[in-house]
Amino acid sequence: MEWEIKPGTRWFELNLRELFSYKDLLLRLVRRDFLMLYQQTLLGPVWIILQPLLTVFTYILIFDLIIGIPTNGIPPFLFYLTGITIWNLFADIFTGLAGTFVNNINIFSKVYFPRMIIPLATTLLHFSRILIQLLLLIGVILFYYFSGKLVIKPETWILAVIPLLLTGFIALGCGLIFAVFIAKYRDLMNLLQLLVRLLLFVSPVFFAVSLVPERLRWIINLNPLSPLFELFRYALVGEGTFSIPGILYSSCAAIVLLLGGIVLFNKKADTLVDVV
Amino acid sequence: MPNPILEVSNVSKIFRLNRQGAGSLRQDLKRAWLRAIGKKSTFFGEEEKANKSAKEIRALDEITFNVEEGEVLGILGHNGAGKSTLLKILSRITRPTTGIVKGRGKISSLLEIGTGFHYELSGRENIFISGYMLGLKKQDIHKKFNDIVEFSGVEQFLDMPVKYYSSGMYVRLAFAVAAYLEPDILIIDEVLAVGDAEFQRKCMGKMKEASTQKGRTILFVSHNMQAISNLCSKAMLLQRGKIIATGLPAQVINQYLHSFKTQDWKQEWRQGEGPGNSFISMQSVEIVPQLPDGQSHIDIRTGLSVRFRFYNHTDNIMLSTGLHLFTMADECIFDVCSPSVLHKKGFIEGECLVPGNFLNDGSYYFSIIFVKDTSQPLFYFEQCLRFDVEDYRENMAWYGKWRGYVRPAFTFNLRAAQ
Repeated sequence: MEWEIKPGTRWFELNLRELFSYKDLLLRLVRRDFLMLYQQTLLGPVWIILQPLLTVFTYILIFDLIIGIPTNGIPPFLFYLTGITIWNLFADIFTGLAGTFVNNINIFSKVYFPRMIIPLATTLLHFSRILIQLLLLIGVILFYYFSGKLVIKPETWILAVIPLLLTGFIALGCGLIFAVFIAKYRDLMNLLQLLVRLLLFVSPVFFAVSLVPERLRWIINLNPLSPLFELFRYALVGEGTFSIPGILYSSCAAIVLLLGGIVLFNKKADTLVDVV
Repeated sequence: MPNPILEVSNVSKIFRLNRQGAGSLRQDLKRAWLRAIGKKSTFFGEEEKANKSAKEIRALDEITFNVEEGEVLGILGHNGAGKSTLLKILSRITRPTTGIVKGRGKISSLLEIGTGFHYELSGRENIFISGYMLGLKKQDIHKKFNDIVEFSGVEQFLDMPVKYYSSGMYVRLAFAVAAYLEPDILIIDEVLAVGDAEFQRKCMGKMKEASTQKGRTILFVSHNMQAISNLCSKAMLLQRGKIIATGLPAQVINQYLHSFKTQDWKQEWRQGEGPGNSFISMQSVEIVPQLPDGQSHIDIRTGLSVRFRFYNHTDNIMLSTGLHLFTMADECIFDVCSPSVLHKKGFIEGECLVPGNFLNDGSYYFSIIFVKDTSQPLFYFEQCLRFDVEDYRENMAWYGKWRGYVRPAFTFNLRAAQ
């Protein structure tokens, strides 16, 4: 006999070859979700860049004009846009994954394919969106450079790949863990938005870590996203406070969360169908 | 020489009802907390232990069987017999609680028509998504794309979102994708019960072709006995999670028809123990079908009478009763009332006759309401009798689910116009 169906999955049993054999489905789903996201909207994919722009304008109004949080010599528009770009990557993947079981139960209860395909598709979707948003960001950077308001070091730009990937890993890991718990306890869906909002306030999105008083900085640094966001901003616009141990801390957190998420999701995926 | 392609050994599936559903975080935390502080001897703990067995449902109970290569196995059983659970385990949608399934080759399952279809997407896009989900490979779809489109007959609408399709077109396209699956083992759950006669013939043809010419192994669940006896080489009867018969389709179908639980048709209580209240006490309710000799199940032709007996505690009361018939989906099919008559205290009997050739096949239940002065409800005895109506067809090439809740044999003629 070639295959077996047994009562449960073991903790460290991930069939990568099987996952790979469904790569066509994965790509189709990314394509579908991309098309669906802007179906029947007036502006269509323009929203991909319009959404961060509108957020930036809100931030300028509140944090710059009303409250007056300094942006360390970086034009506020650019400062907020870098923060929002990488924050959205995290928030979109994380919240997108949370409903994996709840939203796909109709499919999950009728056909088998490796369940991991769905969260992977969501993650890839948001990575494809951020590529477009990065073009916008680079356009804005160049605009400020040519108008003489910004000094740029293109040689550090490549560093931005590290925080993008690690942020994606953290979001994927947390999202997978949350997806499993939300499938079992719907109550957590309400908590999700709150959690994301709270995280925003302890992440250097609309403020720089250097502005945080020393005695409170540990709160920010406890958040593994903080060093990544600072590194991202440093890489692109040359402003950021981070340390090598901080980056190492984030990397470890990313790996632990990602592996933990994959293992938990994989272990629970086949039994959750009975629960949802 | 027997050469099993699928071996199912001691497979059980247990559902724990108290663990299901949303909003159980509080209960789970409470349970964990109680466990943590070692509080076991309390009333709460004992109650939970007592409820444990009651809240477990054994959907499958130690199922063991083999399927030979090229066999077409029909699976029969009443609602809740475990057919769907079995198919879900074999399709890897859910895991067995205990036991093991071993098999060879590629397995595909069709538990629903249009799995993975998205209303907003075009037909073309849906062929790919659904095809990939069902396990087709990219080159398979490209190779068979034209055949699939041709089989479905929706060429002109291929680039239109399927939400604009008629339901017939939708079903045809969805089935067309599935029809070009070429697994070694195919699992089908009642998907034939859709579409028009012409399309059904095509589907049955496709299934026959798959089993006879290509030697594919098929597991097929259906309520439709004609389809099973036509298509299958072997049949299996499930009852309450156990296999109670396997063999030639004709024999197993016969056993299936005899397995209808006649005791469900009657409920009786000793004096003072029946359901009721200070006005009414039930004594018995029963369904008495008018069965021809040798038949033990109700089919669409069978007339039945509903009889009930109760004690009326009030003297000189204007009393009437209403009989409500519901489908299992709680849709009321009819509500008939007896005339309101002055009654003395004492036993009262009622009978209502439901003619044959009236109800369509399906599962139904009766509720009885007792009313004072034609307006004031005294007692509502809900779901007091449940019964199944089986399908019956003669000289029909069509196996789909007959539509509607009723299936009257009205006079209906066609003649050449003058």
